[in-house]
This record gives sequence, structure tokens and C-alpha cells, in this order.
Amino acid sequence: MQVAAPTVDQLRSKLPTITDAIPLKQGGFKAVYRATIGGHVEALKLVHVPKTSDDEAGELFRKECLGRVTREIQVLADCKSPLLVKLGSIRAAEMDFGGERFIVYSEEFLDGPDLRTLIKQAWKPDETELKLLFVCLLKAIQQLWTLPARLVHRDIKPDNVVRVGKQDRPFVLLDLGIAFAVLETSLTVDPRHRLPPGTLPYLAPEMLQPNFRDTIDYRSDLYAAALTVYECAAGHHPMAKKPEDMITTLSRVLRESPPSLNSVRADLSKPFCQLIDSMLKKIPALRPANLTMLIRQLEQTE
Amino acid sequence: MKLYAQHGFGDGDKTSIGLAENLIQGVVFGAKDVSPEKLQEKLNQANEIAPGAARLLDPQFYVSLLGGGTNLRLGNLEEYPYFRPYRRSQLELNERVNEVLANTIDFQASLPLTGIIAPNILISRSFDSAEAVIAKNFIRATGSHKKSEDRRPVYATLAVSREALLEKSQLQEFLADITLLDNPPDGFYLIVGASSSEARTEIFHADVIAGWLLLTYSLKVNGFEVINGYSDRLSPFLGAVGGDAGCSGWFNTLRTFSLDRFGPAAGGGRLPVQRYLSNRLLNRITYIELNSLRPFLPELLNGLSHDTDFIDVEEPPRTREVFQSWEALKAQSARTTGGDLIANLANCDAAIAQAQDAYARISAARFPLDTKSGNDHLEDLSEGIKLFRQLAEI
Repeated sequence: MQVAAPTVDQLRSKLPTITDAIPLKQGGFKAVYRATIGGHVEALKLVHVPKTSDDEAGELFRKECLGRVTREIQVLADCKSPLLVKLGSIRAAEMDFGGERFIVYSEEFLDGPDLRTLIKQAWKPDETELKLLFVCLLKAIQQLWTLPARLVHRDIKPDNVVRVGKQDRPFVLLDLGIAFAVLETSLTVDPRHRLPPGTLPYLAPEMLQPNFRDTIDYRSDLYAAALTVYECAAGHHPMAKKPEDMITTLSRVLRESPPSLNSVRADLSKPFCQLIDSMLKKIPALRPANLTMLIRQLEQTE
Repeated sequence: MKLYAQHGFGDGDKTSIGLAENLIQGVVFGAKDVSPEKLQEKLNQANEIAPGAARLLDPQFYVSLLGGGTNLRLGNLEEYPYFRPYRRSQLELNERVNEVLANTIDFQASLPLTGIIAPNILISRSFDSAEAVIAKNFIRATGSHKKSEDRRPVYATLAVSREALLEKSQLQEFLADITLLDNPPDGFYLIVGASSSEARTEIFHADVIAGWLLLTYSLKVNGFEVINGYSDRLSPFLGAVGGDAGCSGWFNTLRTFSLDRFGPAAGGGRLPVQRYLSNRLLNRITYIELNSLRPFLPELLNGLSHDTDFIDVEEPPRTREVFQSWEALKAQSARTTGGDLIANLANCDAAIAQAQDAYARISAARFPLDTKSGNDHLEDLSEGIKLFRQLAEI
């Protein structure tokens, strides 16, 4: 976080109904706490809002930040799928902490490890679990795309997927902070001079094109979802190699095909590996995109 | 992969025999060459002969943009209630597109067809054009005209000139648009056009072949059924990358698509010599060449039942030439389809390598071949498949 995240005491002073607050993580403009609110454990989220600025660019950027949070909360309220995180009991409120402005809201607290944690623990899911993960992500992508605004998540990665392990929600997708609404006005200020938002090694190749906002659709999410499944299966990202620099990785994303999933997990079936491989194609039209058909096929073979 | 007859002038009993002998698994009737009344009769007949076969009608709406030109060869097209000439600007209106779709689909819905081919215009030059926008509007709207009570598949027509396939980035953008539709059709009737039906080298061109393969492959991976019209000798290769059906007919005009066929006649000509489709050569050679070559290259014969139409006869009967072609295409398709993509493409490569070897032996024997019988197609086929592999990241 670019400013200091509020302390637990500062939180309590403004939000007396919360107890047992514990900082979980912070980064970018966001800080997350685990807290008990009205007797339920929830994830309390604070998003820093830049101060009002005299110059036009600063003010526009502030509005962008506010717009993103508002959209994220609205989307979470609109989504009915159990495979996307749900809003908690605190609905967006602006608050000052230590002279800085934050938007505060809460989401349900998902009791389970995120996939990044599992990968670090050398998790080796079998094909059934990988298919289940992929189906969950496909259904979440489908839910977002069928909203009136036509949303693309844009930040699907192991860090943003939690293994909840319940029958109706085995895996849940989080963090719609940079979701792109195809049928709404873009929130991004001065996009020509900024890298596309998202986590660079998980960006689909078309997202790295200057005109991506004109052409983006949910197939970029399919790419990231397949990459996430691949990484869970293989234990490593297929194109990012440490300690390589980001430019080299992005160059590989644009130009090279990743090794087939079957080459790193020979125990997985050929059709499943081919499906994941095909989702990682550079040209969106070559990624199978009939979600209903894909989900049916995967569920039939689970 | 299935093989359908590309119907046109001079059917006689060709499609009936083809269906009866299971040389073809369906017929795409061409509106120009069959009146609405006769079509009904033909469809009933086809249903009696082969109830499981596909019965489709190419509405040939793409001819409508030829407008009020003089000496057009429209045949029976003007008898069809959906057909009338249009100017391009009229079709830029979505309401007109929907009107054309409704008229054409409603007409077909009343016929004993097994599926319905929606109308569209031909993208004559580029995917970055007003024509391409109109064509996309037809494709986008096709699915919404599918009737819920009618379980028959509805196919959008995608008709493109070979020139449009040469610009790969535009092709990819176009593909991105048509593979993600709110209300998609069940499949596509895909045709690639040349400037004339005789211009076979325009289609047998590496970039065109690669583009056609890419279109087929992309539509298939996105869950669409793909019927490749006028695909003739490319049918087995298009089947290798996912094409569900290919089409071929008895004249060159039914083997290579061109709007030329509907334009003013260029004048008469001699009847072409009968040709034998040799799967070993992936090409047709004259019956005279076949009978001269087969004593020292017996593998030029396909070893199929209709070979007898060409062997030891003074002159093969013209009316039976197409049966040999259909039989050969069916056998070749069985060789290049049925496995996974990698295996199918390997079988395509093997077929091309065998053809190159056979041509080398003909060349070594210093046997002069007619221009159309030569091996020009092989390099383009081979390069086309190689380029397709690159484009499709295989």
C-alpha cells in the first residue's frame, strides 16, 4: 500500500462493531483484514482514495480509484454465483484514517487457502480436482460476462482463487478490483500512457496490444484461468522463469507457445491437457469459447 | 467427415445415385439450378433414397449484390420468394438484414430440408470493408431467426473471396468477432471464392489454403458445425482440421466457387476431357493419361469400385465421372480425418509426400502431363499446411 494501512486500533475507533481484527495483506491501494462484524467473520477491505488534487490529472485519477471500488462493490452485489466472493455486511463507506481517505467495505471471509499458498506447499492436484477448478473458473467467468455490463475479470491468478472445499463452492474467485466492463465507459484515465492493469505474467497476449480495450472479451479470462490451472498442475508458471526480468517473460507470452501441459504432467489425460493448451493460444479465436459446451464436457468427464 | 454433392445444372440422377451408393452423405442444392417446385420433388426423392442424408439449400443470396446487371445468369433464383437484387447500401440497414434473414429462413423452414442455410453476401475483397460489416451483421442475426419449435440446425453463410484470406491480421480480427456471438447459429456454411471457376490456382495457393484451414479450425474449436462448400479436393484437408462436411459437384463451377458463374456468359467452349481423381496424386488426370501411366504406376488407381468406369474403356461415360470423384474424395477423407488434429495433419503430410514421390516417378519417365494434371498444387498444399500450423500455433 502506498500509504500506511490503518492500525487495528484506528479501525476500532471508526468501526466500533468490529472485533478481532487481524491484518491479512496489503498491496497497491488495498489493505485486507480478517474481522468479526456483528458476530460473523468477514474480510474487511480498505481501499485508499488519493487526496483531492488541484491538477486535473490528479483529480481524474482520484475519480478512477473511486469508480473502480464502486464498480467492484456493485458487481459483487449483482453476482449471484457462489463461485464468486460475496459482499459482507459493511457496504461502501468513506472514512478518514490518519489524514488519509479510504473506502471501507467487507466481503465474506473465505475459510480456505488461496491457490498460491497451495502451490508453495507443493500441492499436486489430480485431474479430477483440476477439472473441478477449471469448471469453477469457467462458471465464474460466464457469470461475469452475462451481467448487463459484460465484465472481464482481468486478474485471474492463483492468488485470487480460494479453495473453500464445499460442494457448492469448491473454489471461489476473488478481487474484481480491475474488472473491465465492455458495455460501460472505461474508468481508466489516460490509457495510452499506462500498462494494462492486471498481473503482467497472467495477461493474455491480446491484453498487451495497444488497442486491447476495443477488442477485449472474456477469452482473455479463459487464458488466465487456463494459466492458473496449468500452474496448479505443474507447480510453476509455464512462461515466467525466475530470476528472469518481466520484459523477457512478456516477450515469451507474445511469441512462444508454452510447453504442453502433458509434457509436465504425463499422468493427466491427453484431452484435458489439450484443452488447457488450446486455451493458451495467442489468438483469442483459437481458444474454445463456448462456455456452456465446455462446462458440460468437463462435468461429464469428471 | 461427410461429403455432400454441390448441386448445380445438369443433375439428372447424379445426386440420387450418389446417395443410393453412399458415395455422398448429403446434397447442397443450388437455388439457381432447381425451381422451387422441382426442389420439393428432389428433396422428397432424396429422403426416400437416403433418409439419414443431409438435405440443404444454398439460397445463393450472395448473388443479389450483382444487382440489375445485364445478361446475368440467375436461372431459377428469381422464382424464390426471398430473392431480389439489392444495393450494398440497402443492406447496411439492420432491419433489411433481418427482413432478408426472415424471408429466406421462413421459406426454407417450409421445405423437407434437414438444416437451414441462412443468406449472406460475399466479402469480395477484404475483411476490413463495408461488405464484411454487412456479412457480420447477417451472421450475428442468424441465430435469432432460429425457431424454437424447429430442431433443425441453422447455418450462417460465410462467403469470402480468396483475396480476403490473404490479410491474416484482418482475418484474425474477423474470426474473433464471429466466434463470440450472443445468439450463435448452429454452424457455418463456408465458401471461398475465386475470380473464376477455372482459376484453380487462386484457391490452391498457400496463403489461401492456410486461411481456409484456419477459418475451419477456429469455427470448429468454438463448437460450430462447419460445412465447407465447393471444397472439392481440399475437402479431406479441411476435414483434417475439423470440417464436418465438404462439397463437390460434377462441373468445375461446382468445384470452385465464383460469382462469375452467375454473371454474363463468356462464350461457349469445348466439353472438358473426362478426368480421374487419383488419390495418390491428389489431383485429377485425364483418362488418357491414366491409362498410359497405370501400367508402370498402378498405384495411381485408387482401388475403388468406380475405377472400372475409367479402365479399359474407349471413353469413360461423362455422367459417371462425378461418382469416381466422390468415391475418391470419400476414401481420401477417411485417411485424413478421424484421429486427433496432430495425427490428421501427419496423414495429410504423408499423402502429400506420396504424391510428390509419384510425380517424381512420372517426371523420371519423361511422361508429359497436361497442365492441369501437373504437380503445382503440391507445393501450395504443403506450404499451406505448414503456414496453418504456425497460425494455429500447432
